[in-house]
Amino acid sequence: MPYLSIANSTLLYAIGGIIIVFVLVQSCLFLRKAWKQGAALGMEKKKLIDTVRASATFSIVPSIPILLGLIAMAPVLGIPFPWIRLSIIGSVSYELIAAGMGAEALGLEGLSDPGFDALAFSNTMWIMTIGIIWGLVFCVFFLKPYQRRLQKVRQRDAAWGELLIMALFLGLIASFLGPFVTTFGIDTLTLVSSALIMLLVGLVIRVTKAKWLTNFALSISMIAGMALAVLYTHLWG
Amino acid sequence: MKKGTVISYEDQIHRLGRITGIAALLLLFAVPTAVCVYFDIWPPLQGFLKGLGMVCMIYLPVGLAEALTYTPLLGSGGSYLVFVTGNLTNLKIPCATMAMDAAGVKPGTEEGDVISTIAIAASSIVTTLIVLVGVLAIVPLRPVLESPALRPAFDNILPALFGGLGAYWISKQWKLALIPLAVVILVSIFLDLDMFVLMVIGVPISILAARLMYRSGWIKGGE
Repeated sequence: MPYLSIANSTLLYAIGGIIIVFVLVQSCLFLRKAWKQGAALGMEKKKLIDTVRASATFSIVPSIPILLGLIAMAPVLGIPFPWIRLSIIGSVSYELIAAGMGAEALGLEGLSDPGFDALAFSNTMWIMTIGIIWGLVFCVFFLKPYQRRLQKVRQRDAAWGELLIMALFLGLIASFLGPFVTTFGIDTLTLVSSALIMLLVGLVIRVTKAKWLTNFALSISMIAGMALAVLYTHLWG
Repeated sequence: MKKGTVISYEDQIHRLGRITGIAALLLLFAVPTAVCVYFDIWPPLQGFLKGLGMVCMIYLPVGLAEALTYTPLLGSGGSYLVFVTGNLTNLKIPCATMAMDAAGVKPGTEEGDVISTIAIAASSIVTTLIVLVGVLAIVPLRPVLESPALRPAFDNILPALFGGLGAYWISKQWKLALIPLAVVILVSIFLDLDMFVLMVIGVPISILAARLMYRSGWIKGGE
């Protein structure tokens, strides 16, 4: 397939490099600004450092499925383009779905259709790019007025403002859990196990008063859950 | 004096967010544009519009709903970052919310926004670097990552992540969690719905239920 030489071209690798640098620079800019503000608000430096440490360590394991997604997409889309797509907004499942749509729109049967050529690749690139920008577009144009609106709600009734956000978050959590609770498979078992481990960690924190453990509670329950998933699959998979 | 500083920080964040957001959008568009111009492979108009229609029909409302839902949690700084770097549900949202709680701050507050922004920035940097290393070392890494022994671990990373996350927050706010959980689980028993659809159902119901609980005094708030 000659289009793969386009897909794996130096041009794409070079653009990928630029985008990666951009993401890193943007993150550093925001990090620095927020850090300064934290100091200005009188927040303990230790809290800020703990946040960086905990967030960085937590992010290691969940980054691996992203690599797996890249490996899965590489045979059809090359390496650099999935690399760019996965370093930027868009989850693995979105990318696969959008890529499939790009192919189907040209009458192909999806990504694995043997007729997938340079034109299909080009179409797919556009579709994958444009489909996912809307959250960012919203932020650029509407985040400021939206946040101001939320501020007004909070000012009018601080207790409700807080509850509103918590209720929103719990609704979100429910939607995360839903698909796994009712399948009654290894995933359900894993979900319940990691939930119990989290409760255990919470107990340990309360008993030993080791507050710093809170920073790693999610990492612990997640990794323990994943390890148990291996065990469960071995036993009942 | 403090109020003046806070307003100016918010304005600074919005300015930085808008500038970097637009730059990100331009860079994103540069990718397909560069390839099309350099290799002269422009997609046929009809196929392009058709594909665009298909993807936007689903993902425009998804993007909007995600923006409306996640931004109050993450604050302005975190939001601008997260909608550029992505991986929201499986990484950044759990990361930021736990970071805020560990630091003893609440989402939607000035301190909350600071912690959330720092958490998301740190997470983005790590993820970006890991993926970069992965791309460079893809040949030796691939057999390790794809080993059948490790496979169930990564196949089940989401339930492992959400189980812990769910247990943590539900145990803290079980009253608020009751209705959305019950509704979502009930719906999931009968219908196999995508997480996004469950979100669109669960979040408004959760807010409505919370409002009723608050009004009736069963929940006080401010805990």
